[in-house]
Amino acid sequence: MAESSSKGRLSGMIAGTIDRRTTLKLMGGVAAGAAASMFPAPFVRASKPIKIGYVSPATGPLAVFGEPDPFTIEQLNKFLSGGLKIGDASYPVEIVYKDSQSNSNRAAEVANELILNDEVDIVIAGSTPATTNPVADQCELNGMPCITNDTPWQPHFFGRGGKPDQGFEWTYHFFWGLEDIIGSYTNLWKSIATNKVLGALWPNDSDGNAWGDGKIGFPPVLEKEGFKLVDLGRYQTPSDDFSSYISEFKKEGVEIVTGVVPPPDFANFWSQAGQQGLKPKIVTVAKASEFPAAIEAFGERGEGLTVEVWWSPNHPFASGLTGQSSAELAKAYTAATGRPWTMPVGFKHSLFEVAIDALKRAGGPGNPEAIRDAIRDTDYASIVGPINFRKGPVPNIAKTPLVSGQWQRGSNGLDLVIVENSQAPMVPVGGELKPLA
Amino acid sequence: MSQSTARYSVERATRASRVGAVVLLVIVAAIVAMPWWAGRADIRTVTEFLYILALAQMWNLLAGYGGLLSVGQQAYVGLGAYSIVVLSLKLGLNVFLAVPLAGLVAALVAVPTAAIVFRLRGAYFAVGTWVVAEIYQLFVANTASLGGGSGLSITNAVRGIPAFWREALTLWFAAAIGIGALVLVYLLLRSRFGLALTAVRDSEPASESLGVNVRDIKWVVYLASAFGCGLVGALIAITKLRLSPDAAFSMDWSVIMFFVVVIGGIGTIEGPIVGALVYFALREFLDGFGSWYLIVLGLAAILVMLTSPKGLWGWFAAKYDIRFFPVQRRLVLGDEAKESAS
Repeated sequence: MAESSSKGRLSGMIAGTIDRRTTLKLMGGVAAGAAASMFPAPFVRASKPIKIGYVSPATGPLAVFGEPDPFTIEQLNKFLSGGLKIGDASYPVEIVYKDSQSNSNRAAEVANELILNDEVDIVIAGSTPATTNPVADQCELNGMPCITNDTPWQPHFFGRGGKPDQGFEWTYHFFWGLEDIIGSYTNLWKSIATNKVLGALWPNDSDGNAWGDGKIGFPPVLEKEGFKLVDLGRYQTPSDDFSSYISEFKKEGVEIVTGVVPPPDFANFWSQAGQQGLKPKIVTVAKASEFPAAIEAFGERGEGLTVEVWWSPNHPFASGLTGQSSAELAKAYTAATGRPWTMPVGFKHSLFEVAIDALKRAGGPGNPEAIRDAIRDTDYASIVGPINFRKGPVPNIAKTPLVSGQWQRGSNGLDLVIVENSQAPMVPVGGELKPLA
Repeated sequence: MSQSTARYSVERATRASRVGAVVLLVIVAAIVAMPWWAGRADIRTVTEFLYILALAQMWNLLAGYGGLLSVGQQAYVGLGAYSIVVLSLKLGLNVFLAVPLAGLVAALVAVPTAAIVFRLRGAYFAVGTWVVAEIYQLFVANTASLGGGSGLSITNAVRGIPAFWREALTLWFAAAIGIGALVLVYLLLRSRFGLALTAVRDSEPASESLGVNVRDIKWVVYLASAFGCGLVGALIAITKLRLSPDAAFSMDWSVIMFFVVVIGGIGTIEGPIVGALVYFALREFLDGFGSWYLIVLGLAAILVMLTSPKGLWGWFAAKYDIRFFPVQRRLVLGDEAKESAS
C-alpha cells in the first residue's frame, strides 16, 4: 500500500512540477490579458473632442422610452459631422451611449463608467426616476455637469433628498410637475358629465407614491374639486391580477379610472376590466397609454383612452439646434424608422440641444465648473419649450408645458389628439374629449 | 510499524500555497496603495471586483462547504444597504463607521430567519430562503420612512467626504471584506471546524453519528454569510448612492454569486477568484450587447456545468494538482520511505 501510494504521489509531484511551470506561465498570460481588458488605457488623442455621455433605457421594461435613441443620435451625428463651432475652434462631438437596462443599479454603474472611464464632459439622461435619479446622484457626487429630463420634477428633486433652499450643485432637470398633471387631468375629467367617482391605480414606486401622496399628490385636489376617490392603496408592481381593484371599482360605481401604470400592468388591468364588465367613461392612465404601439395592441379597446401629452408634432416649438419644428422632427422620425411619433422623440432631442447650448456658452470642453455655470444660466428655446433653470419652482429645475390628449380614430389608425390645454394654452387643442363607448 | 509511521508526515501546505501567500501579500499591498498610484476608474473596478469576490466567497461558504443551498442571500445584501439609510442618512453616523454595523444588523436579522428556514431541507430550504428575501424586500417597500417602493438617495450622507477619501476608504473596505472573506474561509476550513463543516456537507447523518454538532455548524456558517453579505450590501449602497427595494434586494446579487462560484468551482477557495475574473472579463467584452450579455453569461455557466461540474478551477486543480489555498490534509512520505519504496 505504502509503496504504490508513494509512487503515485511521487510521479504526481514530478508531473506537477513540470506542468506547474507551464501552467503558471499560462495563468500569468490570462491574468495579464484580463487586467488589460479591465483597465483600458485612457483615450489619447491629438485634438480633444467634446464627449457627451448619454444614459437611457434601451432594454428592459422601459425600453419603449429609449426607442428614439438610435434616431436621435444618428441625426445629431449627421448634423455635427463637421464639428461643433465654438468661438474660433471647431470641436468634434462624440456621443457615448449607455444602456441603463431599465435598472437603477445599472444606471448608477454606467453613469460611473461615463465619468471615470470615458471621462465625458457632460452627462445627459432621461426617462423615469429609475434612470434620472441614480445618474444625477452619481454626477452630483463626482462633480460632473448633468442634465436630465422626462421624470416629473417632484419625484426627481424630492426623491433625491433635494432641499428647496439648497438645491443641487451639478445636476439640472427639466420636465413638468405634479401640479401640471393634476390641473390638466382634473380639468379634463370635468369636461364631460360623470358621477365624479374616480378609481386610482397607483403602484408602489417613485411615480405612484408621489401621485397618490396625501399632501403633494392628487387626493387633496380631487377632494377640493368634488371628486370621490376610490384608492385601495399602492399596489406592488409588476402585478398580473387586478380583480380586487376591478370589483371594488364596480361596487363604488367608478366612472373615471386614473393612475401612473407601467405598460404591462395596465395591459393586464384593461383586459381584465373588459372581461369583468367594468365600463368607465374616462380612463386616463399615464406611462402605459403614452405609446402608440401599446395602444395599437389593445385594438378596439385602445380607442378613447386619455393620457397627458408632454410633446407632440403640434407643439409650437422648434429645435434651437437644427431649426426643425416639432412637426418636422416627428416627420423625420417616421421617415427614418417607419414608426409613428412618440413623446420621447422631442425630449431626447431636447437633452442634446440644451447640453450643446451650455457647452457653447461654456467656451468648449475642459472646464467642468464653466459648463455647470453655463447650464445654470440656461435661457433657451428648445423643441419642448423654453428652458430656464432659474425660473423653476425649486433650484435646478425648469418646467416644460403639459396638456392632455385622447387616442381617437383618424384617417390612418389611432391618433393622439390634444383635448385639454388649461395648463399650457400655447399648445393648440385639436379636438374634444369623447366618453368611452 | 511504529518506525514506518514516523516516516509519514501530514502536509498542509504546498509549494503553490507558499508562493500564493507571497503573491497575495504583494497584491494586498498594491491594492491598499492604489489611491496613490492608480486612476479613479481602476480603483472603482477593483473595488467592485473585491466586493463581488466577497459575495461569491460567502455563498461558496454556505453552499460549497456548508451544503446550505440558499438562493436568498440578496436579503442580507439589501438589509446591509438599508442599514446605511437608517444609520447614516437618518441617524447621521459616518457611512464608513456604519459599514461594520450593517454587517451586524444583517447577522442579527439572520438569527430569527435561520430559526425558520433551518426547519426546511434541500429544495424546500432553497425556496424558503428566496421567500424570506422577498418578504424583507416587501417590508422595506412598504415602509414609508425607508423611502417605500420609490427608493431614496443617500447622497446627502456621503456628500461631506472628499472624493479622494471616499474612494480610498471604499476601496480599503472592499479589500478588507474581499480578502478578509478569502482568508477567513481559508482559516475556518483549516480548523477543526472546517473538518466538521465539510463532513456535514458530504453527509449530514454520517457526520452527526460521528459526534459533529450539525446544528451549530449550520448556524455559524449561515450567520457568517449573512454578516459578510450585509457588509457588502452597505458598501454597494455607498458606491451606488441610490437605493430602491427592487435594486437592493435584487435577485441579480444571488445570480452573480451563483455564476461566479459555479464557473470558478464550488467548494474551492480559488474557484470564486477565477469565477470573478471570468465574470469581469465577460462583462467588459460584452458590455455593449444589451440582453445578449445575459444570454452569453447563462450559456457560459451551462457550458462549464456540463463539461466540468467542478468549475474551471476544479478542473484545473485536478489536472495539475495545484492548490494555492490547500484546506485538505495530505499524507506525505518521509525521505527514507521514498528511498525504500523505490
